[in-house]
Amino acid sequence: MSEQLVTIEIDGREVKAKAGAMLIDVADEAGIHIPRFCYHKKLSVSANCRMCLVEVEKVPRPLPACATPVNDGMKVKTQSPLAVTAQQGTMEFLLINHPLDCPICDQGGECELQDVAVGYGSDVCRYVEGKRVVADKNIGPLVATDLTRCIQCTRCVRFGAEIAGVRELGATGRGEHMQIGTYIEKSVDSELSGNIIDVCPVGSLTSKPFRFRARAWELVQRDAVAPHDSMGSNVHLHLRNGEIMRVVPKENEAVNECWLSDRDRYSYQGIYSEDRLTKPLVKKDGEWQEVDWKEALEAAANGLKAAAGGDGDQLAALVSPNSTQEEIWLAKKLLQGMGSDNIDYRLRQGDFRPGQPDRPWLGMAIAELEELDAVLIIGANPRQDQPLLGHRLRKAAMKGATITYINPLQLVLNYRSSQWVTTPAGMLEELAAVGKGLNLRRGIIAQTKAEDRHKALAASLKEAGKAAVLLGPMALAHPDASMIWGLADAVAESSGATLGLLPEAANSTGAGMICEAENNGKVRELLENPRKGYLLCNLEPSLDLHDPALAGKAFDKAEFVVALSAFRGDSLDAAADVQLPLATFGETSGTFVNAAGDWQSFAGAAKPLGEARPGWKILRVLGNVLEISGFDQDDCGQVLAEIEESLAGRKPENKVKVDVNEERWMPAEGMARIGDVPIYAADPLVRRASALQETVHHVEAAVRINAETAKGLGLEEGGQALVSQGDGQATLPVVIDETVPANCARVQSALAGTEKLGAAFGAVTLTKA
Amino acid sequence: MANEVCLRFLGKETPWKLKNYQSYGGYEVLKKILSEKTPPAQIIEEMKTSNLRGRGGAGFPTGVKWGFINRDAPGKKYLVCNSDEGEPGTFKDRDILRYNPHQLVEGMIIAAYVIGANLGYNYIRGEFWNEYRRFQDAIDEAREAGLLGENILGSGFDFELHCHLGAGAYVCGEETALLESIEGKKGQPRFKPPFPAMVGLYGEPTIINNTESLASVPVILEKGGEWFKNLGVENSGGTKLFSISGNINNPGVFEVPMGIKFSELLEMAGGMKDGRPCKAVIPGGSSAPVIPGARMLDLTMDYDCIQKAGSMLGSGAVIVMDDRQCMVKVLERMSYFYYEESCGQCTPCREGTGWLYRVVSRIENGEGRMEDLDLLDDITPKISGRTICALGDAAAGPVQGMLRHFRDEFEYHITHKKCMV
Amino acid sequence: MLKTMRDYIKSLFLLELFKGMKLTGYYLFTKEFTVQYPEERAPMSPRFRGLHAQRRYENGEERCIACKLCEAVCPAQAITIEAEPREDGSRRTTRYDIDLFKCIFCGYCQESCPVDAIVETRVYEYTRDPSNRVIDKEELLKIGDKYEAQISADIAAQAKHR
Repeated sequence: MSEQLVTIEIDGREVKAKAGAMLIDVADEAGIHIPRFCYHKKLSVSANCRMCLVEVEKVPRPLPACATPVNDGMKVKTQSPLAVTAQQGTMEFLLINHPLDCPICDQGGECELQDVAVGYGSDVCRYVEGKRVVADKNIGPLVATDLTRCIQCTRCVRFGAEIAGVRELGATGRGEHMQIGTYIEKSVDSELSGNIIDVCPVGSLTSKPFRFRARAWELVQRDAVAPHDSMGSNVHLHLRNGEIMRVVPKENEAVNECWLSDRDRYSYQGIYSEDRLTKPLVKKDGEWQEVDWKEALEAAANGLKAAAGGDGDQLAALVSPNSTQEEIWLAKKLLQGMGSDNIDYRLRQGDFRPGQPDRPWLGMAIAELEELDAVLIIGANPRQDQPLLGHRLRKAAMKGATITYINPLQLVLNYRSSQWVTTPAGMLEELAAVGKGLNLRRGIIAQTKAEDRHKALAASLKEAGKAAVLLGPMALAHPDASMIWGLADAVAESSGATLGLLPEAANSTGAGMICEAENNGKVRELLENPRKGYLLCNLEPSLDLHDPALAGKAFDKAEFVVALSAFRGDSLDAAADVQLPLATFGETSGTFVNAAGDWQSFAGAAKPLGEARPGWKILRVLGNVLEISGFDQDDCGQVLAEIEESLAGRKPENKVKVDVNEERWMPAEGMARIGDVPIYAADPLVRRASALQETVHHVEAAVRINAETAKGLGLEEGGQALVSQGDGQATLPVVIDETVPANCARVQSALAGTEKLGAAFGAVTLTKA
Repeated sequence: MANEVCLRFLGKETPWKLKNYQSYGGYEVLKKILSEKTPPAQIIEEMKTSNLRGRGGAGFPTGVKWGFINRDAPGKKYLVCNSDEGEPGTFKDRDILRYNPHQLVEGMIIAAYVIGANLGYNYIRGEFWNEYRRFQDAIDEAREAGLLGENILGSGFDFELHCHLGAGAYVCGEETALLESIEGKKGQPRFKPPFPAMVGLYGEPTIINNTESLASVPVILEKGGEWFKNLGVENSGGTKLFSISGNINNPGVFEVPMGIKFSELLEMAGGMKDGRPCKAVIPGGSSAPVIPGARMLDLTMDYDCIQKAGSMLGSGAVIVMDDRQCMVKVLERMSYFYYEESCGQCTPCREGTGWLYRVVSRIENGEGRMEDLDLLDDITPKISGRTICALGDAAAGPVQGMLRHFRDEFEYHITHKKCMV
Repeated sequence: MLKTMRDYIKSLFLLELFKGMKLTGYYLFTKEFTVQYPEERAPMSPRFRGLHAQRRYENGEERCIACKLCEAVCPAQAITIEAEPREDGSRRTTRYDIDLFKCIFCGYCQESCPVDAIVETRVYEYTRDPSNRVIDKEELLKIGDKYEAQISADIAAQAKHR
């Protein structure tokens, strides 16, 4: 369809618009405001609130602007008596059953109904009959309901059906008795559920953790970038007295559109958790003592210097990929100043063999994901790892893209896809078979047999206008990650698809650009050959590392460990000698590079709690104490400028040089562990977000196996199993889970109870305990 | 003159049996059309000539409606018959389903042939359980006789017909809500445009006709559009089923030519009960505004005449009330109906119907105030014409009509706190 | 000339003096109207804006719902409120402080209150020293409890003018 332009007249102004565009969009673009409730630009048009009624010349009845397409020569009046009486009439109808409880309503002050009522409402209520009252429903720990306030615009219902992809909310009952609810008593569990708060034009759905804590007019708004997944969702922080009261999305069509995942929305609660580290700590004679910054920094500097003993290689730094560019850069510079290149961010990577991309990234812009026609995804669960990237993939699927997953788990998805579920070792075979379907003969590809489905996928990747092969966190954590890269590259190359990575953390892509994989350290090597001194940045050793058992041993052996951390935890208390309190998300300034390679800087907004300080400042001063040159930046911007100068326009790239015939480290036989990371356990901050931990997505450490495997091992649901991995052991409850393939045990990482176990993916043995 | 089209076999032995229906001449027209392969355009022309206007209430010419669908366009098309007869006072389609189901089946097959639909649904009102069974039997019989299914009568034309029983929502009689209901969703009207002829059932082009309209088709095609048209008057062709109820001696369904005098119709229905004077008449189902009895006796029953009198012929449900009826009570009853049956989708109807009912109910219970009448006058135009479907108009119409003609009775109620009658 | 004569006569007969004495004599015998504070009190308007109080409903439930309108409207920014859901889920303050040194007794808090919770009583005889300038919720409620009869009578008296 050609985009024909038509000319229409709104309130006497001539406006050009695309033929067929809805009147309300055209008016919005021209800056002419038409009141509305049910219309939302990202949702389908339902035209049920009747607030946007306007007069169109030659039409006797007022028409809803949200559902009226523009025609050439159309003359629209939004302020004529017909339009205004229609709007005022609707307003009166909406208000007759709306409670007058604005003083106790959290939406008060930022309520669309309040705003429009000021313009179109009457000061006298002619309705003297009893008002409707609706019982509230408990829909989970994130969203509070006050359904008496509902104006039945159905935005939340449409959000669920169209965006979240799960019809959790619906309207039941007729007429005045129509109610929003879940029909059966149930919580709303979508990973995007918090967005229904934003779409609700009244105070019917509000944030539960924020409930009654502040009024809209008390809040100061600051911009920030969400710190969890690699989307880099843009957010507004709402602060009161320097404390973050809530997080809401900031619109950015290229990144998060107008949505926000629940993890990004509610993780702020973790900032104020009880185990927040607020004072520098130094271990003296095995006891932790609060000291002042000067003493702590000196202790850290002296300790590191002594541990190195003149040999820089005895020092290593492990930085979380959730750290800012500035923090990673200064950590690297600090180590270099002490003669070491041993810095790495790939904490959950399972394989460090060479040939993997140096600076991996998504391979395309985020918005391009939804234009894909065929996608092959290996070792990923985007709904959980990067919920809004998952939403883009869903959009592609809704447009007709064929999406295929190769995973060691059956995923619960909200769109049509093919899922090839196999053992971790089997993932390579599946991928190789797709290569075979593309007539490749290299390495292990030659030994596999392409079945019809592999050939069909190969053909669809080849024939698609836009195709992509995407790797996810489970592929990187795989002991044969380099082989997966190699095979994926081979498939992508011969099918003409784009190769990409769905990175795990907020700054994975940026960290990769600073810590060059080939020249710098590799986490596994740095722990297998313990160094004498370690610098840990923003991580908990037992939860954030691929192999916590190995890490525990390495830190035990180390002479001196300095930890920059926002929180205290048992594993850090055990490992570290000095703990420096780190400012968290919202408190620090910095820069994140998202999956698509967009650099997004943000300023600190909230007051760092206690004596916590931004990481870049701590490292900068530590550099001074160590008398290393080049640590005289006065603000974050100077650090960023330095990074940019140093990287000199270097771009992320997925260049793979792997021979697909390498030794395979994942044993094909025996029980294999699948150690994926649960959505709300991904990093120290989200693990402490109390409301998120109350959702159904919160998991406790357990052994998840399917019924058949359980039967073979003599295990049953509710019983205990002894999990042995290397010389580490853990006794965990058994959960029967049919999404897990046979002969595999899903023992998720990053959970308390799994500290003593080894690598997230690898051989394990299970016995009845 | 009466009972010539839809009820033409009334009085004969069990006309709902296929064998009997065929022996009276049924399915002959269908056989002729299918064997001669009559061009659909010709049938549409005949329908236009007949001036058959949709009998569901809106009165849209059936022939014109059929012309909206391009028979040869690729893709699925559907034919839907609307037997969700829920309007208070209406019970005409029930008699067709009861006594002449095969004529409806025949009409639907012909309509499907014209628009090129291979699948049809008859949506029957939830309360019509016996009629649903009878129609289902008719379908089964027809299918067995090769009149439905693949390759009907060896003509190469396929048409399958299903029966769908509603669940008791009045709003599902609105054609798009009916489509939603067939699709298994909550019965809520869709926003139009697009109209069902473009985007209908399951998103495909769909024609929806009333039971009476479709049942009239075989007779029109048998005897010719001109014949049918001449039965009625200018602009209102043919005959019409009227369901007459209220304070009369012989309530029931009567098939009479359009343009018959109301007084004649009243005569057929046995005249007023106990010889009381006719106080008010609702000429087209409860959503039509009321007309005072004296005025009504001079009117003829056709679309134009009733419209000129400020009401509408609608579905032909004539409710006759004598001077013992309290108009406030009547209005309260009707307002309650619309309050209960609003689907709740659009604001003016969801909130307004409840408001109207509560105000009228207050007046009826002697708690009204004079301002309430002005309030009703003010609210009703804010409901009608502001909603997605016509239920808003239907709820406002009776209130406006009653206040126009019987305001004094309402005022009496308010001041004396009791009925005038 | 004439004026000089008149002045001379006035001063000769001490006329000005007697005029003054007449006023003194008048007040010597009329009823005196000095209010003997603190033994006696001047009449007060029901709208008098004295010390603040927080009120309760008859069942003992505190009225304040933490809507924070008084905090927002206070021109002296004397009010500080913090709130969170109480155990029963209702919206209540966890802190309600008025800085009496900042307060200008304008009465806007009372005007803005949708539930008549914060009121200004007729109490004006109180002292605070600078180390104790803030009056908290507990104290406000106590004042409310003590003067509830007067407060509700005052509010009722004003109701028709609102």
